[in-house]
Amino acid sequence: MASRLAKSALSAARARPTLPIRNTLPAVTTFATSTPRQQTGVPQKDPKSAANSILDALPGNSIASKTAILSAGAGLSVAAISNELYVVNEESIVALSLLTIYWAVYTYAGPMYKEFAQGQHDKMKNILNAAREDHTSAVKARINSVQDLSGVIDVTKDLFAETAQLEAQAYEMEQKAALASEAKSVLDSWVRYEGQVKARQQKELADSIIAKIDKQLSDPKILDQILKQSVSDVERIVSQKSS
Amino acid sequence: MSNFINVISPLDQFEVRNLLSLDAPILGNLSLSLTNIGLYLTIAGYLVFIIGLLSSNNNKIVPNAWSISQESIYATVHSIVTGQINEKNGQVYFPFMYVLFVFILVNNLIGMVPYSFAATSHFILTFSLSFTVVLGATILGFSKHGLKFFSLFVPAGCPLALLPLLVMIEFISYLARNVSLGLRLAANILSGHMLLNILSGFTYNIMTSGFLFFFLGLFPLAFIIAFSGLELGIAFIQAQVFVVLSCSYIKDGLDLH
Repeated sequence: MASRLAKSALSAARARPTLPIRNTLPAVTTFATSTPRQQTGVPQKDPKSAANSILDALPGNSIASKTAILSAGAGLSVAAISNELYVVNEESIVALSLLTIYWAVYTYAGPMYKEFAQGQHDKMKNILNAAREDHTSAVKARINSVQDLSGVIDVTKDLFAETAQLEAQAYEMEQKAALASEAKSVLDSWVRYEGQVKARQQKELADSIIAKIDKQLSDPKILDQILKQSVSDVERIVSQKSS
Repeated sequence: MSNFINVISPLDQFEVRNLLSLDAPILGNLSLSLTNIGLYLTIAGYLVFIIGLLSSNNNKIVPNAWSISQESIYATVHSIVTGQINEKNGQVYFPFMYVLFVFILVNNLIGMVPYSFAATSHFILTFSLSFTVVLGATILGFSKHGLKFFSLFVPAGCPLALLPLLVMIEFISYLARNVSLGLRLAANILSGHMLLNILSGFTYNIMTSGFLFFFLGLFPLAFIIAFSGLELGIAFIQAQVFVVLSCSYIKDGLDLH
């Protein structure tokens, strides 16, 4: 341990088991893009475009800024590892494998989920839009059906005026009819009364004449006069027949 | 030699440690601690809350991707609950089952984040859940059926001579539910994490042994990646299994076979 402490920071870093990985880390990329994979018969992308897509994936606008970011990242990683801010150990392997899985899930399952979610989103949106359109068309149909009744106010006003006029006429006629029937009944009663008066007067007249004649018949003078008159009448008739 | 000293137990990652603690000689030696499991459970709680907020999508009717994920979980748990318990009576237990599923799933997934801590690998947590569920189902059974609840231990059409033995076996199996339900979840998560840890330890040692060994170590690394994928699947499956079994225990309490 004492000898390890005596060594410089560089050699101390070499003593740590992290060193081999640091030295061989670039080999991972070498392995991944090595020539044997290119010869597997599977159609591969053009190496130039593949390299360009990797470059495009880096943040920054120009080659200079991309290089700066790459070198800064590498420098920071080296600094973090050498200063033991980040310790490469077994857990790093687990982290690497888990991150690979998450990357795979994100890359392969992500678009599928996005498609599914978009499908659901569109489905509900379409249902809502269809419902909205249905409602709009229903309201329009209702407006159209109601539009036929748009002149209802003027018609009602005219009808009201006409009705009022007719009612006034009807009332007037009713009044006239009532007056006429009233007059007729009065006149009828008058005629009846007059008839009754006339009949009574005739009866009284007849009664008075009968009474006067009865009275005169009870008088002997008159009876005698009647008799004389009758006898003279008979004589005259007989004389006329005989002549 | 230092390599031997640095070997860490695969169980070390599950150790509960105090992150913040308050020990005071008041109120009978008050001791309040925020442990790593407490911290991660709190994080899980906040995570569920945040996902819930994201899913609410500002109360819009048309859902976003978060809402659809929640709705998918909702539909899954709902079909489990109605399928396992009852189309009609099972609805009452749906909120509990949904919370249980989301809680276990989120804690399983948090355990899958590198450098984090798997709360569901702790037997104390899973046993608390499983004992609560089974005890709750038992209380439910007693409140609904009274002493007839004990007919659960009598298999239908069993010969009278075998009855004492079978009742004993049924009783033991009923008690074993408490343990098996929690044990299954914790053991799966624990074993998965331990497996990853052990394999990664081997792989790390292989890869750091030399230039040639680094490439040799890529093969076990591929296995570890495959196991990580499996673990991700297990995180979902175990949450589902826990809910399915909880539902079936509640159904036993409700319907007595």
